[in-house]
Amino acid sequence: MTAVAPRSGASVQTSKRTEILEARPVNLDGFVEEWPEKGLVAMESDYDPQPSVRVEDGRIVELDGRTRDQFDFMDTFIADHAIDVDTCEDAMATPSVEIARMLVDPRTSRADVVALGRGLTPAKILDVVKLMNVVEIMMGIQKTRSRRTPANQAHSTSAKDNPIQVAADAAEAAVRGFAELETTLGVVRYAPLVAIGLQVGGQVGRGGVLTQCALEEATELDLGMRGITAYAETISIYGTESVFVDGDDTPWSKAFLASAYASRGIKMRFTSGTGSEVQMGNAEGRSMLYLEIRCILMAKGAGVQGLQNGSISCIGVPGAVPGGIRAVAAENLVASWMDLECASGNDQSFSHSAMRRTSRLLPQMLPGTDFVCSGYSGVPNKDNMFAGSNLDTEDYDDWNVIQRDMQVDGGLRHVREDVILQVRNKAARAMQALFAELDLPAITDEEVEAATYADSSDDYPDRDALADLEGARSVMDRGITGLDLVKILERTGFGDVAENYLNVLRQRVSGDLLQTAAVLTGDFVPLAAINDANDYAGPGTGYRLSGERWEELKKLRHVTSAENPEEEVV
Amino acid sequence: MTSTELTPADYPLSINRPELLHTPTGKALADITMDAVVSGEVTNEDLRVTPDTLVLQGRIAESVGRRQLGENCRRAAEMTAIPDDEVLAMYNALRPRASSAAQLEEIASRLENTFSAPTCAGLVREAAEVYAARNLLAEED
Amino acid sequence: MTAPGAVSTESVRTLSLREIGPAERGTKPDEVVIALSPAFGDPFTKTIVDVPHAEVIRQLLAGIEERGGSARVIKVYKTADLAAIAHFGAKISGSGIAVGVLSRGTTVLHQRDLARLSNLELFPQAPLLDAEVFRMIGANAAQYAQGQSPKPVPTRNDQMARPRWQAKAALLHLKEFDCIDHSRNAVEVEPVITKVD
Repeated sequence: MTAVAPRSGASVQTSKRTEILEARPVNLDGFVEEWPEKGLVAMESDYDPQPSVRVEDGRIVELDGRTRDQFDFMDTFIADHAIDVDTCEDAMATPSVEIARMLVDPRTSRADVVALGRGLTPAKILDVVKLMNVVEIMMGIQKTRSRRTPANQAHSTSAKDNPIQVAADAAEAAVRGFAELETTLGVVRYAPLVAIGLQVGGQVGRGGVLTQCALEEATELDLGMRGITAYAETISIYGTESVFVDGDDTPWSKAFLASAYASRGIKMRFTSGTGSEVQMGNAEGRSMLYLEIRCILMAKGAGVQGLQNGSISCIGVPGAVPGGIRAVAAENLVASWMDLECASGNDQSFSHSAMRRTSRLLPQMLPGTDFVCSGYSGVPNKDNMFAGSNLDTEDYDDWNVIQRDMQVDGGLRHVREDVILQVRNKAARAMQALFAELDLPAITDEEVEAATYADSSDDYPDRDALADLEGARSVMDRGITGLDLVKILERTGFGDVAENYLNVLRQRVSGDLLQTAAVLTGDFVPLAAINDANDYAGPGTGYRLSGERWEELKKLRHVTSAENPEEEVV
Repeated sequence: MTSTELTPADYPLSINRPELLHTPTGKALADITMDAVVSGEVTNEDLRVTPDTLVLQGRIAESVGRRQLGENCRRAAEMTAIPDDEVLAMYNALRPRASSAAQLEEIASRLENTFSAPTCAGLVREAAEVYAARNLLAEED
Repeated sequence: MTAPGAVSTESVRTLSLREIGPAERGTKPDEVVIALSPAFGDPFTKTIVDVPHAEVIRQLLAGIEERGGSARVIKVYKTADLAAIAHFGAKISGSGIAVGVLSRGTTVLHQRDLARLSNLELFPQAPLLDAEVFRMIGANAAQYAQGQSPKPVPTRNDQMARPRWQAKAALLHLKEFDCIDHSRNAVEVEPVITKVD
């Protein structure tokens, strides 16, 4: 589906080949010329500042050509919170080409290059990554990503905000391997029911999956504190003061919010990305990547454990300028290098061309990131309430084949049909039991049956939306918590789901999920960039796809048996 | 507890050092069982992180060079004492042009005196100073 | 979905906005103000999907007229912020209702009593706005101006609008920003639509 037909040629006669090329999906994508004066440029602009730093009396008094009296609030926050005053003058004196080589050279440890990075200014970091081509950027990501084991995140949403659909698709996404699941709403008032669907479905699919519901701050925090969701991500930050203020926040308000989440034991990451400032008309003449590096340093300064970046909802902007996708890979590298968890984009509809969608994905998928997609649409894109993703359910088999072709772990696996049907059905039945016990509008057997075999929201019977919204309100009014849901699941015959859910809730007591890049394994072991720190040090080291996991990824929907070539491997 | 030495090997605390953890009502991690949930012994109040635990997690973060994350954990430890509504109200007060210098100072004092939250108070005072310089304070009535 | 931009090219209409005087508060209780952005009509001539500005104005006016309303057109120079443009229009509209339109086509229906960042109906995806939608927007504006509560114009959605149009929208936005003239007050204009064969 697209907004317009392919561009009609003028009356000039064209060759048959040109007609074919004109009709190619890639020509439905938009491309624009750079305009560096306005910041419509990926990462190489004469209008970006030159690196500089000066320290007086233990305080940074000059940053990238500006003295403290000229600082905007981003400069101030970065100077006072992000950059190590003790090391910055030495770090800044290191030639950029040396630092770029350290990022690529396996003989330089992650620890050393991360330590050096603590003393660099935004312009210096830009100066370094400008020296790197996309393969070198991938080398850098491979070394600097914080968690050793890569993971992936899915969206589970519904065009009709149908909580049964969200539960069934969450269960399928979880069993396919996603470590985190994210939802959002068309009608915001549906949030409690959809967030419950996401959590319950997730725990049916695979115990320990973490879930979140993207909403405005107050409601998002409320659902988290009730234990209906497990983490938060949509806390946006921007690279210029003017756009930050347009977003009605400052680095200090966001830093305060970061602590608020941690104080409730809830994992949280910020969100930023190239292109947002120029999209909002206030890039202040800086390149997209320069501004994104300021966001990354702001996030680091706030002490938030991680960042979702990789242009995110503005991907059409860097995607349209020369070198834009290189810049997007570079922003993921910088987030990783600055020792933050990086949920690396690939999460918005990006191109009409399947070839281009794949090439945009490889700089994150091949080196591995903390979350390759943030997220992958675990529903058909037409049901994706984040406005569509770069990958959706139709791409599951392609993804699995690419993992097998390249021997790369993108966090997913092929799952047999009977297993998928079983978890979808169980998720819907668990929701049916919960709704009955909570006096919410009944979920019929017909709906459970539909959820088991459905693809999209079109395949479900329509629900009485007004009654559901009334039910959603009552869930909030009655103060229903995650623990209430655990109890109901336990007494209605879903004891294993209840155990999984309770185990997720217990994590808040330990605070273990607050550490960088933390996820939960199926055995409820927190895996963070501490006990699973990335130890890549060149060929033969770091995360290698091998053993049981590699055997798992060799399985596809159709593989001819070697033993009996007349049959397929099951 | 506040002097406990921690190294990266202590992480995850829930597995390697459960004896250091407790709920806000004083229960051990092992007390959070399904039976205790069903019988009502464990309530939602138990499923919160304590300031002590946040301090421990902050120390682990600092032990692997994550100074800012450690500081965030310390601010969070202070914030556990602040009721939910008030945390959100303070966040809203920190938005651009939402508060006057006097209002921000009032919040900082309250953080310091009522909630014993000096690190958070410091963050608010710092914001007040920057907002004044950048014309981001509310107009005084 | 119909393809916006697929406007007949057999005869082209061009738009010129003839300045009448300062934009002042209107007195007709049922009038709709159409408030245009700094680059609308000049230097830009069409929306992001090539709907001629002449066609945008023609359809809005036709929609207003067929619901028995009346219209005034103004051009705003001091801001390129759609909410601010539309809210200004609403404040000087006799009915308190205005349609705000950016050069690239993004449109909002606004009312005087609402907060600036609120609105009656918002059409944020300019690439999906064609002649038919502009006519429906005009018709709804007239009904709001007469104190009625029309059914909102159905919103369209397209997952693939972003890859095709997001960057061009940013470019048009930047150009529109360049046309802001802080020293120039809003003016009332008479739209003159000329048909060129």
